[in-house]
Amino acid sequence: MKVAYKHLKSLIPSEPRIDEISERFFQLGHEHDIEDDIFNMDLTPNRGDCLSVHGLVRDLAPFYDIDLTTDIYEKEIKKLDIDFVNHAPEACSHISFLKIDIEGEIAPYKGKLEEYFKDLSVNKNNFFTDVSNYLSYERGQPTHCYDANKIENLLLKFVEEDKKFNTLLEKEIVIKDKNLVFLQEGQVINLAGVMGDLNTSCSINTKSVLVECAYFNPEEIIGKSVKYDLNSDAAHKFERGVDPLCHEEVLRRFIMIVSEHANIKNVEIYKETFVDYIHIKIPFDVNKINNILGISYDKKNFEKYLLKLGFKIQDNKIIVPSHRNDIKNLNDIAEEIARVIGYDNIPVTSLKMSPANIFTDTKILEQNVKDYLIKNGFFEVINNPFIGTAEDHAIKVDNPLDSNRQYIRTNLEKSLLENLLYNERRQQDSIKLFEISDVYSNDGNLKNKKVLGIICSGRVGKNYLDFSKKIDDKYIRNLIKDLLPEININPIHIDRKSLNTKLNNEIIYLELEFNFLKDHSSDLICIQRKDPNEHTFIKYSPVSEFPSSSRDLSVSIKNIEKYYEIQEYLLHYKSNLIKEIFIFDFYNNKKNNEIKIGFRFVFQSHQATITDNEINNIMKPIMRYTNSIEGVTIPGMDKENIQNK
Amino acid sequence: MPSFNDIQPPKLNPQLGALHPINQVKDFLISLLQDYGFTPVDGPEIESEEFNFDMLNIKKTHPARQMHDTFYVNNKNKVLRTHTSPVQIRSMLNSKPPIAITSAGKVFRKDDDATHLPMFHQVEGIYVDEQVTFSQLKDLIHKIIYAIFGKEIQIRFRPSYFPFTEPSAEVDILSENGKWLEILGCGIVNPVVLENCNIDSNKYSGLAFGLGVERIAMLKYGVNDIRDFYKSNLDFLNQFK
Repeated sequence: MKVAYKHLKSLIPSEPRIDEISERFFQLGHEHDIEDDIFNMDLTPNRGDCLSVHGLVRDLAPFYDIDLTTDIYEKEIKKLDIDFVNHAPEACSHISFLKIDIEGEIAPYKGKLEEYFKDLSVNKNNFFTDVSNYLSYERGQPTHCYDANKIENLLLKFVEEDKKFNTLLEKEIVIKDKNLVFLQEGQVINLAGVMGDLNTSCSINTKSVLVECAYFNPEEIIGKSVKYDLNSDAAHKFERGVDPLCHEEVLRRFIMIVSEHANIKNVEIYKETFVDYIHIKIPFDVNKINNILGISYDKKNFEKYLLKLGFKIQDNKIIVPSHRNDIKNLNDIAEEIARVIGYDNIPVTSLKMSPANIFTDTKILEQNVKDYLIKNGFFEVINNPFIGTAEDHAIKVDNPLDSNRQYIRTNLEKSLLENLLYNERRQQDSIKLFEISDVYSNDGNLKNKKVLGIICSGRVGKNYLDFSKKIDDKYIRNLIKDLLPEININPIHIDRKSLNTKLNNEIIYLELEFNFLKDHSSDLICIQRKDPNEHTFIKYSPVSEFPSSSRDLSVSIKNIEKYYEIQEYLLHYKSNLIKEIFIFDFYNNKKNNEIKIGFRFVFQSHQATITDNEINNIMKPIMRYTNSIEGVTIPGMDKENIQNK
Repeated sequence: MPSFNDIQPPKLNPQLGALHPINQVKDFLISLLQDYGFTPVDGPEIESEEFNFDMLNIKKTHPARQMHDTFYVNNKNKVLRTHTSPVQIRSMLNSKPPIAITSAGKVFRKDDDATHLPMFHQVEGIYVDEQVTFSQLKDLIHKIIYAIFGKEIQIRFRPSYFPFTEPSAEVDILSENGKWLEILGCGIVNPVVLENCNIDSNKYSGLAFGLGVERIAMLKYGVNDIRDFYKSNLDFLNQFK
């Protein structure tokens, strides 16, 4: 909601600065941005009463003297004889209709009406609709303007059958299910609280207007504008609750603004209350308010704040004003007090509790399983549970984000396989992943279970012992042996044929239920509460989206004194384009007094796909230096050759 | 002079994997809260509307209950929990004050853009006892935020609205660039919620708070795009050893 600073200031005689009002709004919990002296308010959904200039200024009353006096039509108004039947009094407890006939030309907009359109750059429509829109901005009460000549009779009721409806924005929709509507001769002419239709709405030629001013139960309005994709300020306000007792004041203000711009021939009003409004009364328990907040203020302070906010106090009871539909109990009152005091001004009192140290068996098991897998080179992943195709007994999402996410997974296989292939496409040649998650199914009964999913493929590890070993059935069986010593597991070999991948490494997948693990796992080690002070947060470096490339360098060492030096030099060589260096091969030929070591250099750029030229520029000095060491050679290349390269 | 027989093979650096960074932060927060006296409790991710909304005083009119904000499943019989608060409801129904528990885990909202994901993680806590006050809540929140961001961080409390707490607050920290960043929501448990759980609200009161794990993780690790956490990219995960 946009509100001009100028319009707020005009109702506060001390004319506070914009930054001062901004600070007060934050203190009150009204978030906002300011641009060109316009507040863009982001109000919480319980504060429908603040969706207007008057509403916001009313909330500032504890800090400033405010003056909400505006000119209204004071004369007596004749009763309007209207053919209206309300078949939904529980949804619309209060409703009023105002009929105004004007004659002659409409004057150019002036006063607050002119300022509204100018200061907020709002598009004009027609005179009566413009007055209605302005009043919604000033008072927070939406009104709807019919061309009175097009209205014979009105019926307010719920309809449950499909009905066509052409909105005043010329959008044709079909309303479905249960909707509260105004009907005329069986035709929907207004989706109550949301938007009127095109045929009966006002135009620039309208001289006789019928203004509808109603209180609709928020429950009947909520969700309608989203359901029918209608952008409706009225619905936004009705959904959050408006003041059921403001109609006469608002309609008299309507007449006043019309009279400032046109010659009124006749004015008539119809007012009806179908369910009496009962003011909420809350016992004024000062001790309890102090106890909720942890303060010790006296009653007089509380009274002062509450009276300024429009509450009344009678017989030691707080009477809630009709515009505050969010206030129900003493905690709400405590919040009102706290907002005025300022949350940051409420003192801090020490909270003393004893440390807790209780873990369930499942939590202990989960922690041990994770520690074990991490120790063996596995990385934990987290996937969202949505999948596109139904698995057996999969639960369907009634309102999915899209068709690719319309079911809830019943196992972790697809998610983990997707993770594995994603990493294979990024040249990862040793992939070990696991996920622990609840999964759900419905075979008539909703069921859930906690499962461990493990997927792996490629090299067993990135060192000279494991580099040439491939992950296979044996590897996974040995891995699980320590966890489940008594059990012979059956891992799944995922067939690559349908995976659109050129690799031929085996993909091994294993899924185990936690209940099964609990029953069969080796002895659990009791875990203790981790010391949060020992936790360190690394500073993350963005990963490259470009492919990596590798070069292997084999080194022959005959000068044993250089054995450690060459390792130190090569393994710690620094370059922005080097992602990783490790030893993939090692052979100590004691008979020939020669050691052969294979180093793998993995390169990757953050800017572009790395080129051979860039790699050669890094490798050249490495090779030159390596070759310069006495008793160290790069097999297949003589020393002179490398140095001249 | 050493001989080739004495040579040690190259050191085998342990090939460790890593816990997911979001779970690292989640576990860190749980440990922190355990230090303060909160016991971790788990609960289901598929919930009834009663536990996810009604018991928490979230009326049928609240925008969060609409189909555009909440995932409904099983012919609208159930929802994917939109917060971990239903776990607290179950705990309150099953035990008597004093109660001090944390609920942590996955939650779901119908969002999907650069800053919001349909699944994210929360850590929430509730403490119910006699004479629990807003000023004690402030003490706890200060401790939590100082433990995460250091004692030099500047904190501000703002009034907010959550149907299950009253008064409600959002807490901001002042970032290095001078902007206030929202870190958590908290408040005094609405007496309606206590009564819904058969707890005498005249005798007992409670405090509650909730943190978004991804938000803390992004700030602490310096990750700018929330989606990076869920790509399962080994180059990303490898940094969190």
